[in-house]
Amino acid sequence: MPRRKPGTLLALESEILATALAMRRDGEPAFHGFALARRLKDERGSRSLTAHGTLYKALGRLEGFGLLTSRWEDGDVEGRPRRRLYELSGRGAETAERALAERRAKPSPHAATASRPVGRPA
Amino acid sequence: MKPERIAALVLRWAWLYTRNLPEPAGGDRVAEIEADLHDHIADARAAGAGDRHIAREIASRALRGAPADLSWRAQARARPTAKGAGMHRPARRSAVRVALVTAGVLAIPLTGMAVSDEVRWSAADFVFAAVLLAGTGALLELALRRPRNLVLRLAAVAIGVAAVALGEADDAPGLVLFGLLAIAAAVALTLRRRVRPDPRSG
Repeated sequence: MPRRKPGTLLALESEILATALAMRRDGEPAFHGFALARRLKDERGSRSLTAHGTLYKALGRLEGFGLLTSRWEDGDVEGRPRRRLYELSGRGAETAERALAERRAKPSPHAATASRPVGRPA
Repeated sequence: MKPERIAALVLRWAWLYTRNLPEPAGGDRVAEIEADLHDHIADARAAGAGDRHIAREIASRALRGAPADLSWRAQARARPTAKGAGMHRPARRSAVRVALVTAGVLAIPLTGMAVSDEVRWSAADFVFAAVLLAGTGALLELALRRPRNLVLRLAAVAIGVAAVALGEADDAPGLVLFGLLAIAAAVALTLRRRVRPDPRSG
């Protein structure tokens, strides 16, 4: 588990924000955990999906930082459990733009970190 | 192995590591994993993946994420939430409050015995008064913390009515006063709840 420098994002968190921004640009502003995991896998060209614990812990941290917001789907959804939908907040979108720019500048997404302050978890 | 079987095991693991966590953190995590597992299986089947492959993928995600699950649990336990913020500290504060009030009230007859011959309390009187005061105090503290529980407030009123009746019969004005105060406190808690509705309701 990488150590976090105060005021910075972990590589996975930057990656999530950048992917969330890309999904928003594709017309999917709200996303759920599995959709994000699949998209991350596709974008990395990886063979495996992000682990449950790692993914949802990172999403929780980003929500705590105020970079994502979440809500549960309304009412009963037939045939499947309700999903928790995440969305970039205004500050999250700004941070995601920076993360995306850094990812473009660096070839390996795993080496990327958004080094600007992100605030403390709520 | 069927992916649903592995998904059920993963969900059981989620139940285990979210056990006794303050809500909604624990319940939300389980619900989120449940939705993820369902979506994973549906998506992989739609893409033509075999059951064994899907099961292996789910197991791998769960195993690789287990350390993060445990560290998340440790953080969730340490983090105060709106509902569960420092549940132990208010309980301790309540106990201290009840003990102080009980001791303070019992100090009155004790002082009276020291300065006057007219006040004569036996050890049994002190024990009875201590149990009555501490019991009613604890009941009112609980009623304060659980505003939706009508039984607690009714029990406080019942003790108050019994104290008034006993005090009247025994010609004990202190007991009557105590009973009236207990009734008044229970009524005040009810009015407080009406003015400031419980945020958990609705």
